[in-house]
Amino acid sequence: MLEEKIKQITDDFNSDIKSVEDIQKLEEIRIKYLGRNGVVSSLFDELKKASNEEKPALGKSLNLLRNKITEDFNSIKTRFESLDDLKEIKIDLTLPGTRRQIGSKHILTQTLDEIKTIFQSMGFSVYEGPELESDYYNFEALNFAPDHPARDMQDTFFINKDFVLRTHTSPVQIRLMESHKPPVRAIMPGRVYRNEAVSARSYCMFHQVEGLYVDTDVTFAELKGTLVSFAKQFYGDDLKYRFRTSFFPFTEPSAEMDITCFLCHGGGCKVCKQTGWLEILGCGMVDPNVFKYVGYDSEKYTGYAFGMGIERTAMLKYGIDDIRVFFENDLRFLKQF
Amino acid sequence: MKISLNWLKEYVDLKGITTKEIISKLTLAGLEVEDVFDETEIYKNFIVGLVKDKQKHPNADRLSLCTVFDGKNDLQVICGAPNVEKGQNIVFAPAGTIIPKGNFEITKAKIRGIESNGMICSEDELLLSDNHEGIIVLDSRLKPGTKITKALGLNDVILEIGITPNRPDALSHIGIARDLAAIFKRNLLVPKRKLKESKEKIKSAAAIEIQDTINCPRYSAKVVKDVDVKESPEWLKNRLTKIGLRPRNNIVDITNYVMHECGQPLHAFDLNLLCGNKIIVKSTESESVFVTLDSKERKLPAGSLMICDAEKPVAIAGIMGGENSEIKDATKNILIESAYFNPSVIRKTAKALGLNTDASYRFERGTDPNNTVYAAERAAQLISEVAGGKILNGVIDIYPVKIKEKKLRLRIERIEKVLGYTIPLKSVSLILKKLGFKILSASTGFITVSIPAFRPDIEREIDLIEEIARIYGYDNIPTVSKISISLGEKNDSSAFADKARDAALSLGFYEMINNPLQSEELSALTGKPIKIMNPLSTDMEYLRTSLLPGALTVVSQNIKHGEKDLQLFEIGNVFNLNSDSGIESFKDFTEVQKFIFVLTGKIQQKEWCQSEKNADIYVLKGLVHSFECKILLDNVLNDSYYHDGNSLFDLFFTKKFGDLEIGSGGRIRKEVLKKFDIQQDVFCFEFSLDELKKIKIKRRKYTEPLKFPKVIRDFAFIFDKSVQCNDVEKFIRQQGSELLKSVKLFDLFENDSIGADKKSLAFNLEYFSEERTLTEEEVEREFNRLISEVTNKFNAKLRGS
Repeated sequence: MLEEKIKQITDDFNSDIKSVEDIQKLEEIRIKYLGRNGVVSSLFDELKKASNEEKPALGKSLNLLRNKITEDFNSIKTRFESLDDLKEIKIDLTLPGTRRQIGSKHILTQTLDEIKTIFQSMGFSVYEGPELESDYYNFEALNFAPDHPARDMQDTFFINKDFVLRTHTSPVQIRLMESHKPPVRAIMPGRVYRNEAVSARSYCMFHQVEGLYVDTDVTFAELKGTLVSFAKQFYGDDLKYRFRTSFFPFTEPSAEMDITCFLCHGGGCKVCKQTGWLEILGCGMVDPNVFKYVGYDSEKYTGYAFGMGIERTAMLKYGIDDIRVFFENDLRFLKQF
Repeated sequence: MKISLNWLKEYVDLKGITTKEIISKLTLAGLEVEDVFDETEIYKNFIVGLVKDKQKHPNADRLSLCTVFDGKNDLQVICGAPNVEKGQNIVFAPAGTIIPKGNFEITKAKIRGIESNGMICSEDELLLSDNHEGIIVLDSRLKPGTKITKALGLNDVILEIGITPNRPDALSHIGIARDLAAIFKRNLLVPKRKLKESKEKIKSAAAIEIQDTINCPRYSAKVVKDVDVKESPEWLKNRLTKIGLRPRNNIVDITNYVMHECGQPLHAFDLNLLCGNKIIVKSTESESVFVTLDSKERKLPAGSLMICDAEKPVAIAGIMGGENSEIKDATKNILIESAYFNPSVIRKTAKALGLNTDASYRFERGTDPNNTVYAAERAAQLISEVAGGKILNGVIDIYPVKIKEKKLRLRIERIEKVLGYTIPLKSVSLILKKLGFKILSASTGFITVSIPAFRPDIEREIDLIEEIARIYGYDNIPTVSKISISLGEKNDSSAFADKARDAALSLGFYEMINNPLQSEELSALTGKPIKIMNPLSTDMEYLRTSLLPGALTVVSQNIKHGEKDLQLFEIGNVFNLNSDSGIESFKDFTEVQKFIFVLTGKIQQKEWCQSEKNADIYVLKGLVHSFECKILLDNVLNDSYYHDGNSLFDLFFTKKFGDLEIGSGGRIRKEVLKKFDIQQDVFCFEFSLDELKKIKIKRRKYTEPLKFPKVIRDFAFIFDKSVQCNDVEKFIRQQGSELLKSVKLFDLFENDSIGADKKSLAFNLEYFSEERTLTEEEVEREFNRLISEVTNKFNAKLRGS
């Protein structure tokens, strides 16, 4: 009997306390259950009438009930009181916060950083060289014979007949090999210049990253492995790639690496000129003539080299369709990255 | 270079291979297909239409209103061509067709108020030729509705192939066919010569002499007499127009045809216009003038190789023929030149003339010296077929020193050493043979290969390895998945610039990258600029001497776009001449990596809880200082406020390391800003990163936090306005004991109440010792001493006293 009542009262209290909305209502509930003539008191009165065998167990249940009601009441009361305190603080939190200006790296720097990080993790050092370069480093030592049509591949800004604005970062390869014995493994980022009319697709200067690895057992297969690993880290794991034959005077064999166009996924679109492929870099095995210029033994050593354009890479990755925006430095552009 | 697939198929059997496969394999083998013009695809919607009726357009005099029957329905079509007539069969493009020229879609549209349901096409619009004078009128026997691809036999695929400069052998249809034969293991089919020669001997009709045998190692010729110069037959015109050539006459067309067939450029002379019936090949000794067959007068440098007759030059060797000996309608007897010229002399002359012809393009890359007779005979045979006439007996072939085929030894293990995997010897041999190489002998470990003269690019073993790799397929080279890394020291020469960049970012600045090519006006503002010999324009004729002009240009541009509050930085190289004598070595100029801050407008925007703040010189100073701290150079550099009288800054300060200036900047003068059309204050500071980088930074050491309390004292003095804060601060430091650890200005006050020529400076002094707690008395003593020292030294008055 009494046991059932205890259960009933527990349920009643639970539902009463759930619906409480303010401190007055809470007080009413306290009086109802814990007051001198409250429900709990009356149960204790009933306990007195219970048999001696039942008394200890029932007494324990009743005490538990009283404790639970007291605890619940107190915790809810504290919550109401603290809410009351907050009403005293008159602050409009919806006002905007004060802003702090954050700067940003140019998107070309960000792109280069990504490339650098990947190659540095593969054990590459970083070297740089001058932009105003001699004909010797820019062409001759890279196996561009004088009066060879290969020189037409890169429209050159001349300072005079012996000095040029470098047309590629490859001269840094020569400088590096001149000053270091193998093994050398390095990337060489930098700015290059081409005497080409400025348009949405081409600019008279841009940035490249060059790579070089020379040691006793460097093979084309390792070149492929390294570049595929780079491309997957940079462009995404699921890409397809191909290496096709190309020509650079300073590598033999030479290749260009294409990846599936990530805009059309190989179906053909404007960006990939309907081919489904995007050219991302040029590469090859270092030509023995280049080793001759820097005094490396081409029987003993083999090496690979590669180079890629940073603007082109960033344009592909971020959907930028006009190369000129990189160099206008419009704050509205800079702030996007 | 344009290649017709139908034409190509005459030299190699490509049965069973799809166009897609051909394109892909050519590209992979180094003959990159850059564009594909597939006639079946491009002309698929065009049909034969019959013009059933033609009326005048009611609203336009020059337009006709036609009724075109497309095989099923009668359609109303507006046509602007003058030659459209009732009863003609025409090429009809129904609505929805893409017109090849301009790549636009024909839609149903009202033209001058009348609806048109398609277009009647000209050759120009279909890219069949550049004839746009009128519409194409087709054979009247064709059934309306017939596809135009069928009616006109438009079933070719034209490939635009980018040929790299090392592959002169691939500049012809046979050249491309040879690679395809190797790729698909098919046979190369070179046309056989079937010459019907007359009894008359060539030697009686013409003579040839080479005076410069270095630049002209071989000169071969055939003579054909009594030709009939006229328009070429359809098949020939068709072949040439498909690859983008304009047909001239049957003789010139055949020389072009043979060049595109086998790669040997030919020239046909009118034999009757050759004085003495003679050809003399010689180089010029001085500058000369010559009129080429395009009627242009050309100025030739000394050392140009010329083809002359007994009296005068008749052609610029390997580049272009002369007007004085060209084939005309009345020409009867012709001499066909088929020669081999030294590539570098042709390149030099062509470059000097700024003239790039199909012939010079091939000669300067290197033609096949051993194919001249074949090409001359092939041309003579074809000319007699299309122009009649008789081929004189024999060939004149002057070839004093025969160019021998090179022999190369190819070690089999070397292939693996370079590529990283083995290719079976059988495949190696087959590839080389298909490419035209001869295997002379095979021993254990190596083979000896003879290199045909049409492959001047193959000079070494490594070149043969590339040939094998590219035909075998780069895709078949395995991709390794493991690399070894050497554990030696790693270098990063960009690390310092990265550190400077990070410092600028943490200060809230945006990075810009500017073009180092500038006008003379801009580059000369800040140094001694280096001039470009062949600039794109006068705006980009010089290299920047400082990052400043570029930064100001960016500021100006941004202000025009409404972005007036700018905090930008740039890292880049600047270039300066060391003397006026020009550049002969790297010592004659400097290339230095610099860093610039540029600051303008508000550095703090007005918000509900703060007021706005404009950039000023003190913001710049603080910024520069924070930058130094960030790259660990605080307390290493000294400020100097000496104005060197430069015309760029009105407020100016420099940073020095010892006596060496490593940075300078300040507020840009108004006159300078005017040049950039800027109306607000701009502050800049430029560091030399190359100099900063050289400063050795001491490794930082941990200092324990202070265990004893600090004693803080403030005082303020009234000084004459001319007294400089820096001097007072320095003086207090000097006079203070070792217990005085910091002196900081915390207030500046100027007001008439203290005197118009006076100012008040308030300083905050910090005393402490790392060993003990200071007593009030000793600090008080010290502080009072300083007060009297400052008062005496600067004639100052302590405030509040």
